[in-house]
Amino acid sequence: MIVNRGLPVPNALQNKRYRATGSARRSERLVVGALVACALGTIALSVLIVVMLIKESWNFFSSPQVSLVEFLSGSEWTALEEKELDKVKFGILPLLSGTLRVTGIAMLIAWPLGLITAIYLSEFASKRIRRVLKPALEVLAGIPTVVFGYFAILLISPALQWFSPSFDTFNATSAGIAVGILCLPLVCSLAEDALSAVPTSLREAVYSLGGTRMNTAVGVVVPAALSGVISAMLLAFSRALGETMVVALAAGTSATFTLDPRQQSQTMTGFIVEMLKSDLEYGTVQYYSLFGVALALFVITFGMTMLGQIIRRRYREVYQ
Amino acid sequence: MSELPKALESFNPVEPSPRTELQRRRDRWFRGLCLAIACSSVAILGLLLISIAYQGATSINSTFLSGSHDPENPEQAGMYPSIIGSLLLCLLCGAVSLPIGVAAAVYLEEFQPKNRWLRQLHGLVQLNISNLAGVPSVVYGLLGLTMFVYMFQLFGKLEKNQVSGIDFWGVQRYYQFVAADDLTVIMVPLTDRTKSTLEIQEACPAYDTDFNPIELVVWDSRTPAPSDPEVLSRTVRQGEVGAAVEIYNWYYFRVPFGPSLLAAALTLSLVILPIIVIASQEALRAVPNSLREASAGMGATRWQTVQQVTLPSALPGVLTGAILAMGRAIGEAAPIFVVLGGNIARRTGPEHLMDSCVTMPILIFAWADNPVEQYRQLAAAAIIVLVALLLVMNSVAIYLRGRT
Repeated sequence: MIVNRGLPVPNALQNKRYRATGSARRSERLVVGALVACALGTIALSVLIVVMLIKESWNFFSSPQVSLVEFLSGSEWTALEEKELDKVKFGILPLLSGTLRVTGIAMLIAWPLGLITAIYLSEFASKRIRRVLKPALEVLAGIPTVVFGYFAILLISPALQWFSPSFDTFNATSAGIAVGILCLPLVCSLAEDALSAVPTSLREAVYSLGGTRMNTAVGVVVPAALSGVISAMLLAFSRALGETMVVALAAGTSATFTLDPRQQSQTMTGFIVEMLKSDLEYGTVQYYSLFGVALALFVITFGMTMLGQIIRRRYREVYQ
Repeated sequence: MSELPKALESFNPVEPSPRTELQRRRDRWFRGLCLAIACSSVAILGLLLISIAYQGATSINSTFLSGSHDPENPEQAGMYPSIIGSLLLCLLCGAVSLPIGVAAAVYLEEFQPKNRWLRQLHGLVQLNISNLAGVPSVVYGLLGLTMFVYMFQLFGKLEKNQVSGIDFWGVQRYYQFVAADDLTVIMVPLTDRTKSTLEIQEACPAYDTDFNPIELVVWDSRTPAPSDPEVLSRTVRQGEVGAAVEIYNWYYFRVPFGPSLLAAALTLSLVILPIIVIASQEALRAVPNSLREASAGMGATRWQTVQQVTLPSALPGVLTGAILAMGRAIGEAAPIFVVLGGNIARRTGPEHLMDSCVTMPILIFAWADNPVEQYRQLAAAAIIVLVALLLVMNSVAIYLRGRT
């Protein structure tokens, strides 16, 4: 019998049975099977989303009143206003322009503010300021989107109208500002992750050359983390495109094809909500048009997210 | 031998060159700008909370917390059904997505295969989860609408505002009669769902309201009525017409789900699934490898290691992520709006799985969208309740994170 420091060695070791017991291996196989099923379930979810969008929007695109060319290039969208099906115009450009107006304004706010806040947090902030800023940003990130919509009609829109009476009550700018505030914490936390992944040795190298902290941040750290920063910006962009409740409350309900940020601007998501609010029945062409819009929305956001992923993976600088 | 740089040649530590001075000044300015902008996010948060508190604080009282939506009278309106609805929805949604999400994360982190093809599958799942996290929630709502509410219309066409489908369990259908003493209610089981009323001609199996079988007596009103009150309480006049009623147990189940609590919960669980997977993966990644190696060294299989070593030590992180995802689920409005519609006229919380349901964000949306100024104030009050609930959940999450 092998004895080690007075303690008896377990039976399994004495008999040189180093592998796990048979029952453990059998249950192992079952469990791994279940885990794989869960992981594959997430792929099935993606497939379902795509199948659902294509199948339901096929009902829209295959109806005689709709042509794909007109859908992609038409500058009038009257799915809700027009009662007679033959006169309804399905051109997605007004919805697209509304979405881009709101998203553009949102990004004008979220990108610079989020990036600069991230630079401050990773390069300058003392521990005490971090302890205030980080939780504040987390709380801001956790506030439901419908609250930002309410904030837009409660405060931002009246403030804009006070600033210049030419703003409509519901306008692209107030919705855009609210969406921008909503995306700010997202840009900030993703960009900060990227910035703090840059090794300290690079910063020390700049200091040793006599660079200031600003030189370090702007000249070295941000370029070194550029792939992460850009992917953060793209993710925020796609989040803003898909934002629904804020635009449903604050951006208005008429689809306008213009560049004027003071006007009402129904977005793609805003249209989906308006259509569901209306009393049109499931099965009509107008109702199915919302799946066509959703498909367009999905394609755009998916492209953005994918691009962000690719940039982050391909252009990531790996430091040892 | 290399030359000395110019800057060092004329280096004067006491009196820096104008260029250095400029650089330093720029640095100070830049730092100030960064600080100002960073603080502006705190300022925005403060402005948002203060303006909403100012708008809504006066409306919070006991009527508001216990009442339900009142379309005529804003003073009497309340949000009780939406609080219950949100909490139930959140629980149900967590019960569905938490096990699946953690299992997917465990597979991705702890069972990385060596085989090349399987590795590619692994990468695909990982990429797919990042993409799912970027899908707009309203698209998930549409998926829920076709998959859960209408079930691709496999079970016949479901009209708006009309409940139909195939029942599985949890529902009893009866015709309701008033007994001859005008007090007791008698239930007669329903067999044919197409008939919404039943005319009593002869005795049939019947129950009282506690579902105990009783012996039904049919009384021809031309003859004298039974005198015994006990008999009278189970007597029905001949020719009396009873209307169909449905009694649901909480586990009532039918397909398609229709705009119901279950459909909304399943849809929401799809929305938060990627968030839970990503958070759990991060928590698992933070477990030091030495623990896994020690466990493997004791002869444990990979699952035994996960079950007894990795998961317990990653649990605080997993729970933190789960709570944050629940917070997201409670605040999410778009997918629920798509699945349930914007109807907020309910007096109670959902009573069974197939019952419709109001949640706080939907109520806030409907009130904020209402042109009447008083309802907008109520929306602010409801926001205060919602944000307070979320803050409580977040502090629990931060407390748990502090314990890792």
